[in-house]
Amino acid sequence: MVIPLEGLEYHPSGSSADPHDGPQTVSKSAPFWVRVRKSHWTTRLTALAAFLVVWWFLTTPWAWNGDKPIMLPLYLPSIPSVWNAFIRANTIHPIAEGVDREVVGEYGYYLWQHLLATLQRIGIGLFFAIVVGLPLGLLMASVKIISVSVEPYINFLRSLPPLGYIGLLIVWFGIDNTSKIWLLFLAAFPPITIATIAGVSGIKEDQIHAAQSLGASRLQVVSSVTVPAIAPDLITGIRVALGFAWTTVVAAELNNGIPGIGGLAYLSGTELKTPLTITCIIVIGITAIALDSIIKAMERVLTPWRGKA
Amino acid sequence: MSRDKSLVVDGVRQFFGPKNSRVQALSRTDLVIEPGQFVCLAGPSGCGKTTLLRLIAGFIKPSEGQITVSGSEIFGPGPDRGVVFQSPTLYPWMDVASNVELGLKFQGVSKDQRRADSERYLQMVGLTDFAHRRTYELSGGMQQRCQIARVLASDPEFILMDEPFGALDALTRERLQNELLDIWRKTGKTILFITHSVDEAVFLGSRVLVMSPRPGKILFDEPAIFSKPGESIAAEEIRSLPAFLELRERVRSSIQHSH
Repeated sequence: MVIPLEGLEYHPSGSSADPHDGPQTVSKSAPFWVRVRKSHWTTRLTALAAFLVVWWFLTTPWAWNGDKPIMLPLYLPSIPSVWNAFIRANTIHPIAEGVDREVVGEYGYYLWQHLLATLQRIGIGLFFAIVVGLPLGLLMASVKIISVSVEPYINFLRSLPPLGYIGLLIVWFGIDNTSKIWLLFLAAFPPITIATIAGVSGIKEDQIHAAQSLGASRLQVVSSVTVPAIAPDLITGIRVALGFAWTTVVAAELNNGIPGIGGLAYLSGTELKTPLTITCIIVIGITAIALDSIIKAMERVLTPWRGKA
Repeated sequence: MSRDKSLVVDGVRQFFGPKNSRVQALSRTDLVIEPGQFVCLAGPSGCGKTTLLRLIAGFIKPSEGQITVSGSEIFGPGPDRGVVFQSPTLYPWMDVASNVELGLKFQGVSKDQRRADSERYLQMVGLTDFAHRRTYELSGGMQQRCQIARVLASDPEFILMDEPFGALDALTRERLQNELLDIWRKTGKTILFITHSVDEAVFLGSRVLVMSPRPGKILFDEPAIFSKPGESIAAEEIRSLPAFLELRERVRSSIQHSH
């Protein structure tokens, strides 16, 4: 899916050169994914190729090693076996070689269904994290009593490893989706609250004064000045929160986590299906990077003034 | 009676810092600003002139005394007192026109009316072609023009200006001074203009005040009108009038003897 960002992006024609553009400036009318310097892509592709070569070298049987690979498949499966695991997870296939019974993907779901289930949980968790974290941050930034009393609890929550309290959440909210979403929400809302507080404290006092002198009510100050002023910090907070949600997702899907890509990664590991585990890890990593890139692109579209004013 | 709409600073004193080591920023100050006046307040850096402006704007509460507008005491900032800040406080998430319309938006003026007003004031300050630019694309002088248009558009009784041209180059500053005088003559707004430039104070003001530092105290207060309403004398001519030179000299020596 490609979001048509081209044209939405703001290109100030009168301003000086974008500081992110290095010496190899690509045309300003080019979409942002082209504007990433070409040399970066060559560097990245070279690094990927080198990585794959090392992987291939370690997992290929060698005559000088007694026809065995340097690393046994249980520890590091070969590239083709990971590819096969990826294909199996996406197709209807025989349950085992020479058996007639056919099954769907892995554990009854295609890989994309596992991924989608996880994305839904993360999406709902992140949604509530924003809905709760943003107003809480605004409240904490403006009402001293709330900030003094709530802040220790947020720091307490932040320092807890999610694995430590998923059991408690299961007891409270059951073993189905609710406890998983709660865990993702609890992991994601502190960075959003903290980013909001940082954003509010970074607002120049005179920007508030200016609005008040123009006749703004308290609510109008919040909607016209505070919220847009913290938007860049808020977007950064959401990026951090999404990262935390991803690192929490395996803990969330540890119990009854199928369908779910985190649960699949964990379960396949416990059953020594290392090729499938590695497939899951790769899919999780690529999805996380893709989502992060989307937020970064949104940041450019929504807050073009960042770093300029 | 004209005093009805005047701004009165009545026995105001201002202290900063904790009780045991507080610093007096402003000694007892009494001041009446009549409607239509262009009051220029000059003084060295740190003399408390910005403190006085922020008190009048309502950003800080006076430690003693009170400030009244049209007879009623002010509590906090309000749309009757527009402020032009030293460094422009335009909002980068809005374009130039939206910044200018903001005061009207807060007052609930309809969108069409806002557009019409902002066009008028942008034309007045010469920013018509920049209406849909982002504020950070403007030069420093243009940003100050935009701030002035924003304040004018929200139609305050008083305009408080805190060294608005202080950071600009000499040429831009002179041009903006002339434009501001024009705007004052056209709109008849009451202006309190703070500056550390004696020349600027005497050139712009219909009344010139001088403030001494630590603690701030007004020690010079004289009318200074070198051109009558309706007649426009060139800026160079005003600056070469004997009366202008004489007043400028007296303001300068009053500042020099103040500390």
